[in-house]
Amino acid sequence: MQSAVRVQMDAMTKPNGRAGACEVLTAPIVILVGHFGSGKSEIAINLALGFAARGDDVSLVDLDVVKPYFRCRAAREEVEAKGIHLIVPDGDRFYADLPIIVPEVKGVLTRSLGAHGRVIVDAGGDDTGARALGSLMDAIDPERSEMLFVVNTRRPFAEDQAALVAMLRDIETAARRRVTGLVANTHLIEETTPEVVREGFAAALTLAATTGIPVRFCAVLKRMVGALTGTDVPILSIERYLLPPEAPGMTGRRRRFAGV
Amino acid sequence: MAKKLMKGCEAIGEAAIHAGCRLFFGYPITPQNEIPEYMSARLPQVGGMFVQAESEVAASNMLYGASGAGCRVFTSSSSPGISLMMEGVSYMAGAELPVVIVNIMRGGPGLGGILPSQSDYFQATKGGGHGDYRVLVLAPSTVQEAADLVIDAFDLADKYRNPVMVVGDGLIGQMMEPVEFKKTIKPEELAEKPWATTGCAGRERNVINSLYLDPEQLEKHNWDLYAKYQSMAAEVRHEDYNTEGGCDVLIVAYGTVARIAKTAIDQAREKGLKIGLFRPITLYPYPAEALAKAALGAKAVLVAELSTGQMVEDVRAIVAGRRPVAFHGRVGGMVMGPDDLVAEAEKLVAVPA
Repeated sequence: MQSAVRVQMDAMTKPNGRAGACEVLTAPIVILVGHFGSGKSEIAINLALGFAARGDDVSLVDLDVVKPYFRCRAAREEVEAKGIHLIVPDGDRFYADLPIIVPEVKGVLTRSLGAHGRVIVDAGGDDTGARALGSLMDAIDPERSEMLFVVNTRRPFAEDQAALVAMLRDIETAARRRVTGLVANTHLIEETTPEVVREGFAAALTLAATTGIPVRFCAVLKRMVGALTGTDVPILSIERYLLPPEAPGMTGRRRRFAGV
Repeated sequence: MAKKLMKGCEAIGEAAIHAGCRLFFGYPITPQNEIPEYMSARLPQVGGMFVQAESEVAASNMLYGASGAGCRVFTSSSSPGISLMMEGVSYMAGAELPVVIVNIMRGGPGLGGILPSQSDYFQATKGGGHGDYRVLVLAPSTVQEAADLVIDAFDLADKYRNPVMVVGDGLIGQMMEPVEFKKTIKPEELAEKPWATTGCAGRERNVINSLYLDPEQLEKHNWDLYAKYQSMAAEVRHEDYNTEGGCDVLIVAYGTVARIAKTAIDQAREKGLKIGLFRPITLYPYPAEALAKAALGAKAVLVAELSTGQMVEDVRAIVAGRRPVAFHGRVGGMVMGPDDLVAEAEKLVAVPA
């Protein structure tokens, strides 16, 4: 029984025999920031599920006040099935794109989390999305948290180093906190090739050299995990949860929370 | 150029720039805010101009002015905002002004919600504003197609001197897919518009107007417009999918629903049921001839829409009782799954007990 759990855990946290992102992130609070559409929500869901698979007590804060669809809350059924506590506006405001921060967010960020408590915060994109975060920063102890900047260099306005640095600094200003780590997440969804993954990882390393902020891990679609060779960067193997409605698994069961 | 990962809204905005458009006038509304947001960032980089108007009514009249002056111009909105623009659209149709309008549809009526919908089909294809007019309507079902059709929309608008609408349900605007831009038109390469009000030194003055007080003249104007709309039939476009050799059930769907239908086709194949898809790409003019042909190759037709039944009226008129036409619709932001379409198709071919 124990070993079966261990094997399952390793599959999630040690893709391809490499260190997994959940192993290297030791701070109880992980905040995801980045360009609009850089992949924060999908990474937040995968991290939350990864920590939950390790037996952690995970809260996932959907702080996306920017985009109206494809937010963390769209994966409500999947994350709640794993015992993850999703913090999101309730009632019909669940579906709104209003700048709502429920009181529970501050509560979960300030209270003692215990040895296995984890909080994942998914901020909205750009400095606009990070502004909501800035209003909470006084409550977030820098010693207990990491703020990760997600980079997908195939996204508009994120193609060159100058744009990445400018956005990183704008987000830091809006969030009132320094970024502590980078996440390489360059992909083209279904059209991702190993070259795209490697190109994105190289761009993240350049950004790390420019800013002095380390690359904490590389997020890679599950089927592309083998693409990164010659580096021991930790990997987050990405399973997609924020799917369009034609995805084969999108049955009536999922419709309601699919953000669609 | 390397492929980019773009939201439908961003690809639509970038496509307008690739079409040589340098002017955007609009007003924000979910779920298409990424279009004005994108244009406000990009247009200044390429020497263009973005204006956030005080309302959609104002924006549509800015379009009228810019188009009358011979410029490529575009706007985007979502359902309630498009309703506000309808006065301007009618005036532009009357004054024969080329303009591109994108509607990323959300649930209505009234304020409705912010989730995806296709319930503006009537508004888009039957005129929408007052008077006897039509606009050419294009309906993409992928992000790449949204980009391609927006570029085409500008050419079609100029060709017919008429507003062209590109309609997508909210998901088409919000989903992300890889995109490339194959064609770039520079504004200075665009053909002269001899009818535009560009200053009349050395020539007869041009007038942009939709007011015709003389009934004979207004009647003639209406029939001229009618003839123009009839001539747009040359632009019909559609996609046949899995229809070769006929099928048990033909699904007729556009936009996101057509994507769902393609998954349903795969799932039905495993059950030994052959579903085909007829996907209109032009919603006006409707690809009627091609639909009739595809429908006659099927035992039954299933129209699926994110509405309580709008396109189905056109499909029924075209099929004209030659095949049974059933309807499956979800509204309010609820979206059918591929499994729902398979179940509906199975009902149509079930042998009564």
